[in-house]
Amino acid sequence: MLRKTLAITALAMTVAIPAHVMASELRVGFTLDALTLDPANHRKRETETIIRNIYDGLLTRDAKMKVVSELAESWTQVDPLTYDFKIRKGVTFHDGSAMTADDIVFTFERLTKDGAMGGQTSPRKDLVGPVKAISKVDDQTVRFTLSEPWPILPAMLPVQEVVSKAFTEKVGSQGLATQTNGTGPFKLVEWRKGDSIILQRYDGYYGGATDIPPVGKACVDRAIFKIIPENASRVAALLAGEVDIINELPPYDMKKVEASANTKVMKVNGTRTFFVALNNTKKPFDDVRVRKAANMAVNKALIIEKVLLGTAEPLNGVMSPDAFGYNPNLPAYPFDPEGAKKLLTEAGYPNGVDVTLDTEGAFKEMVEAVAAMLTKANIRAKVNVVEGSTLRAKWLPTSEKTGDMYFTSWGNGSLDPADIFVPTLRTGDRGNSAFYSNKEVDALLDAANVELDQTKRADLYKKAQVIVNKDAPWMFLWLPQDIYGVSKRVSGWEPSADSRINLHDACVK
Amino acid sequence: MKPLALVGRIAQLVPVLLGVSVIVFVMMALTPGDPVEIMLADQQATPQQVQAMRHDMGLDRPALERFGVFLGNALTGNFGLSFFHRRPVAEVIAERLPATVELTLAALLLAIAISVPLGVVAAVKKNKLVDRLAALGSLFGISLPGFWFGIILIILFAVHLKLLPVSGRMEFACEVPAITTLVTIDSLLRGRPDCFANALSHLILPALTLALPMAAVLTRVQRAAMLEVLRSDYIVFAQAKGISRRRVLWRHALKNALVPTVTVAAIETGSLLGGNMVVETVFGWPGLGRLVVESIFVRNYPLVQAAVLFYAVTYVLLNFIADVLYTMLNPRVRL
Repeated sequence: MLRKTLAITALAMTVAIPAHVMASELRVGFTLDALTLDPANHRKRETETIIRNIYDGLLTRDAKMKVVSELAESWTQVDPLTYDFKIRKGVTFHDGSAMTADDIVFTFERLTKDGAMGGQTSPRKDLVGPVKAISKVDDQTVRFTLSEPWPILPAMLPVQEVVSKAFTEKVGSQGLATQTNGTGPFKLVEWRKGDSIILQRYDGYYGGATDIPPVGKACVDRAIFKIIPENASRVAALLAGEVDIINELPPYDMKKVEASANTKVMKVNGTRTFFVALNNTKKPFDDVRVRKAANMAVNKALIIEKVLLGTAEPLNGVMSPDAFGYNPNLPAYPFDPEGAKKLLTEAGYPNGVDVTLDTEGAFKEMVEAVAAMLTKANIRAKVNVVEGSTLRAKWLPTSEKTGDMYFTSWGNGSLDPADIFVPTLRTGDRGNSAFYSNKEVDALLDAANVELDQTKRADLYKKAQVIVNKDAPWMFLWLPQDIYGVSKRVSGWEPSADSRINLHDACVK
Repeated sequence: MKPLALVGRIAQLVPVLLGVSVIVFVMMALTPGDPVEIMLADQQATPQQVQAMRHDMGLDRPALERFGVFLGNALTGNFGLSFFHRRPVAEVIAERLPATVELTLAALLLAIAISVPLGVVAAVKKNKLVDRLAALGSLFGISLPGFWFGIILIILFAVHLKLLPVSGRMEFACEVPAITTLVTIDSLLRGRPDCFANALSHLILPALTLALPMAAVLTRVQRAAMLEVLRSDYIVFAQAKGISRRRVLWRHALKNALVPTVTVAAIETGSLLGGNMVVETVFGWPGLGRLVVESIFVRNYPLVQAAVLFYAVTYVLLNFIADVLYTMLNPRVRL
């Protein structure tokens, strides 16, 4: 019976449809389906990755993560609270209608006003921060007014896509969940929910960001996001040639993908910084010598190589090397358990210290490696696995500050210090789980927050990084990389730190 | 069957569903994790936005009140908005249901097609090689974990032999307007044998993965029932009358021996829905099971509640269908 079925199928497969052979088609094996196709009604990176191929934004990022104009032609910061955007001419939506300043005002009002989406409020509202008003200055200019200084507005705009006012009013917010009318390089052909999203090149495309060559229509005729949640199956689909790019390639499958003649591994730094927050307000970590000892006790290189299989970048500070204002000259704490013990003795702990290292279950393996190394340097760390939300509450700056060490991370999608440095290390800020407080750092961060000159702003952050590196409020750990499996027939595509998969420039042989 | 029996059966649904709703609601409420926190996971959310989202989702109200609202709305067929899709739950479930139904039916047919003949042959050739092999096969079928077996099938048939696709439901080039929403049947109805073959090629591996454990159970049930029947007087009598062995087996014996198989098959079909969750994930099958798993992970309460209620109704109905089939196969049994 089985053999017969297989024989019939094999026969049938030979007469199956060879459509994708004729038109160039690129398939992405992707972990998660889009939750919605409405750019304003989700809070999910995977959903945004799909939508971003259909809808363009005012600004975007190049492969080096530099923010560049897309639907905007240029932008200027008039004062700390005002930004003007010049709108590009000749951009059309997929239905052929012209994109105007009104569409942009509409898009951002929909994002920022309560109940603006058929009674719902956009879950992306706070990604546009303190934007108070959006107004049309003239047909080619739109002005953003903020209620407080927010230097990362340009860095946050690449994650918002522009919708058509007329189309949205016609189909309603419910309609926009499944119907699209973007300005992006691809238009939607069909969304087979849970299975695939089928896109086709938009021939009226204006060409995309001028700073990201090649400018022009998309290279492939058709792009498909094929949803394959299971890691092993996604890898199998790549190896079988069923898909050309897969995201979230598990580290242990990298060898298999490298070994195949038709596929390769591509890695890129992510945007999430991992660290151990040390309680700076309580013994023993109120002493900078003990904090430094902790930093010297751990062999990061070894953990990255053995536990993370080489898929992370070691850090000596807060930020990703790809981020704005990153200081590449921070000294690394050497791996030196004996030196660490000496520092402990100097600090008055000749017999070492007993501490608890809090973590979520997902990181247990890594954290146990860290704890074992700490213990060897006389910082005897007991791993304490707790559920995430309980742990976050325990380490809030407003909490009773009872913990010793907290293995955690902070995502920095904007790749701007204002979005990671400020919340995690400014005195009392919402993510300051080390309860770190340094007036000098605060002053530098506050000055950077209102600095209009970008070079000066970067310098302020670089100075602050030096102080933090010396104060060691955390054990500085690493930045995990995103890993992709890619078919060798794909060219013109590379992974990017913001984990988007933009297919505009990707070609297939 | 009497109409009264039918009414009675339907009335039985009420306490079952009520009980299930309470259990699901309480379990979801007790599971650690907060949908708002998961949704706004990137830590940029301000307390104001968190509060606004909680209000939007109705999570700022007491649990008891939320349960009341849920029950009241559910009675009118309104299961609310999916937290994450931000669309009506019923709509989201309806989109994913056909794929699950198609896979389940295919697995059921496959399991019956394997188990009934195998069970009969094993009974007839009791303790012979065929019987031993069937027993061994059953043991394997029951023991194999679906996620592992599915991946082995993928590696063998898709990666190495390149005979069948790894995942999905149908090639993108096949656009078959829905009639029944089951793509295999729709392809045939629309006169697209190429798409039918394509859909079938996608269906084989997941259906087989799902069918094997069920076939293993059914084979054993079928064998035992057949042995029982073969020992009964009327079979001996039929044979004594000189009726051909084949006719005795397949006409006289099998009909009675099918009764337990049908019952078990119906109940097992219910558990196929559960098994679907794993198989659908492995094969990227766009069904309800995967949706439910994903929804549990992100604490999408409205969707999980509605889906579990749906499972409960299906399970009860399947049992009911089993009882009806039972009376048809064995008129001595009354509902």
